[in-house]
Amino acid sequence: MIVAHLSHQELMHRLARPGLRLRTGPVVNRIQSRLAKVVHGVELHYADCTIEDSEGFADFHVRVAPPRSPRRWIAPQVQFQFDGAGPFLPLPASQAFAMLEWGLNWCVSSHCHQYLIVHAASVERSGFALLLPGHPGSGKSTLCAGLVSRGWRLLSDELTLLDLATGHVVPLPRPVSLKNASIDVIRRFSPGMEVGPPVHDTVKGSVAHMRPPTDSVRRATEAARPRWIVLPRYEAGAAASLTPLSRARAFMHLADHAFNYDVHGRQGFELLAQVIDSSDCFEFHYGALEHAVAVFDDIARRA
Amino acid sequence: MSSPSALRWRSVPPDAIVWREWDGEFVVRNERSGSTHQLAPLAGSVLQVLLEAGGALSVADIAARLGDHLAAAPEPDQYAAIDAVLSEFKRLGLVEPEAQ
Amino acid sequence: MHPVVHALRDPAAVVSSSLPQWDALVRQARRTNLLPCVALALDERGLLPQVPPAPRVHLEAARTLARAQADAVRREVAYIDRALAASGIPIVLLKGAAYLIAGLRAARGRVFSDIDILVPRGALASVEAALMLRGWATGKTTAYDQRYYRRWMHELPPLRHISRQTWLDVHHAILPITARLKPDSAKLLAASLPVAGEPRLRVLAPVDMVLHSATHLFCNEDVGNSLRDLVDLDSLLREFASEEDFWPRLTVRARELDLTRPLYYALRYAVRILGTPIPAPVLHEAEIGRPPPLLRGLMDALFLQTLQPDRTTDRLASLARGSLYVRAHWLRMPPLLLAQHLTIKALRREEQKAG
Repeated sequence: MIVAHLSHQELMHRLARPGLRLRTGPVVNRIQSRLAKVVHGVELHYADCTIEDSEGFADFHVRVAPPRSPRRWIAPQVQFQFDGAGPFLPLPASQAFAMLEWGLNWCVSSHCHQYLIVHAASVERSGFALLLPGHPGSGKSTLCAGLVSRGWRLLSDELTLLDLATGHVVPLPRPVSLKNASIDVIRRFSPGMEVGPPVHDTVKGSVAHMRPPTDSVRRATEAARPRWIVLPRYEAGAAASLTPLSRARAFMHLADHAFNYDVHGRQGFELLAQVIDSSDCFEFHYGALEHAVAVFDDIARRA
Repeated sequence: MSSPSALRWRSVPPDAIVWREWDGEFVVRNERSGSTHQLAPLAGSVLQVLLEAGGALSVADIAARLGDHLAAAPEPDQYAAIDAVLSEFKRLGLVEPEAQ
Repeated sequence: MHPVVHALRDPAAVVSSSLPQWDALVRQARRTNLLPCVALALDERGLLPQVPPAPRVHLEAARTLARAQADAVRREVAYIDRALAASGIPIVLLKGAAYLIAGLRAARGRVFSDIDILVPRGALASVEAALMLRGWATGKTTAYDQRYYRRWMHELPPLRHISRQTWLDVHHAILPITARLKPDSAKLLAASLPVAGEPRLRVLAPVDMVLHSATHLFCNEDVGNSLRDLVDLDSLLREFASEEDFWPRLTVRARELDLTRPLYYALRYAVRILGTPIPAPVLHEAEIGRPPPLLRGLMDALFLQTLQPDRTTDRLASLARGSLYVRAHWLRMPPLLLAQHLTIKALRREEQKAG
């Protein structure tokens, strides 16, 4: 059964009381919340996700709820709770769904040491993975959203999971987060994709999420071999230019952008070396998504 | 203060290091410090020489073993370059000096 | 029984748990910082392959993390050793770092946070100076905190290394000078033992390690880690039980250091909760530290309640935790100072929330 099979009422009730157990790639989250924004967010973005048995094992038990404090009546807030503990400070209630997304990312990046986790977007074509590591503002999520709406399969928007044994990317297809101007860019570029209502005044500005394509969710068990590593840089008006990046530099970039590189010690080093060995590495400047998609389609064809 | 050639340098034991090289550039992980570094061609070659040596080497020894890695630069420049690399390595905990 | 306690006492039985039981166990183990410990308990009996895949990945991930932390602690201890080598001051490692460097079973599956060392009180200033030369700096900086740590507590303010971001606590006593119990640090230092293969590092003698662990458990602020601390104690007691004269020396030493009360509680709760095998004569000897019946009843309620699985809706448990927090402070500081300190701590929490 998938989320889309539930009526709105059923979804609301499940999220409120026993919690809803959702599978996203290799991770099962039990999500509890009475907040309308969370219900709507789940209804939209997780429509294709499998609902897991309540008599099973959930990897993470999370709750998005108002904190127990007088502030809940004055300026409504929400808090992300992991197993009863609240690792984050509360945020304004309007950001409830965004908070769920950030919290679920925190759970994976803090605990899933069965993978080497890189802070990167990743997409797939013909069994090969394109990794887009990048600091915030590099445009990696916009690029990811653009590629995904033009035939690339979404592997992950934020957390690229690398299997320790094979070095392959294990998909974690979850909503793609878009910020500020990107929201409208993607709405125009990808009218077929569903983008949720934006939330304003977050620490990152305005934030909205794009629903992962059904195909990406359904094929979440299909891993992909790393083939291209691209450091994106968005600059308004810039012509698309792909320049080779030294492998040593690309290695350091991956290590710097890995959440748990240090946890894996020597094995982490060997794994990243293996990924670099099998990949072409580039820096990429772009100003328009159409050009970017054309460039990547081209390198995919030549693979 | 002893002249550079009086000092000998020893790297951390080879089993504490993993390294890879692509197109002349190196990445190195030092188990002793837990840190990972990117090394330019000369630095990477100096480290390789020290790892292979199994004992302490002076700057002159290192220069001799580097051979054509150093191109045809005048000797004082070669020594200065190696010295700079060794200072950095000392700071990173990749080498230790041994006085004669 | 607390699922984590059950898993540690009988790993073979836990393997055949249902998925919902595994779900509860992994959550409770995370809350009590004992997931790596549970993982290793299963691993060393060759039982991990029998665990269903879904919970197993978490156990393996926890094991990986623990290994990485142990490596990091070893590295950090090496840095501390080098920093203090020239000073000639004896450094006694405490708690987790000590267990690890001394190769004790209590180090297995441990979650490490910071490193604690014990040095002679007269050497504090030179130790601080030597460490600052090598990149450590005091973390807490308000004048109040400086006074709290230096004059009233038993340590320099926690030191943080500038580039490695690791924490180091330098103690000259295992309890503050303002505390009611006054174990003599000079005796602890005098009885300390060298570590094989390490010319400068030392650890407490076995009986002192146990007494320190008992004191830490029952007199410290961080009551959220109570079960983990009790697991440490259990591990130490089991390992040292085979040493000649360990048991008689334990009770004698407790009297000598004025730590009979913590020892009483430690043995009492280790037996009741973890089933630690302790010879009857030892328990009898430890009765000398027994509190009055009313107090003991209260402590039983507090500790046994705290060591139950955490349910966030359980108000009694959170009240119990609150009382333990007050009690820990009381043992360390005279009542007036305590009230002042708690008010200030509460205010700073509010500041942090608002700011």
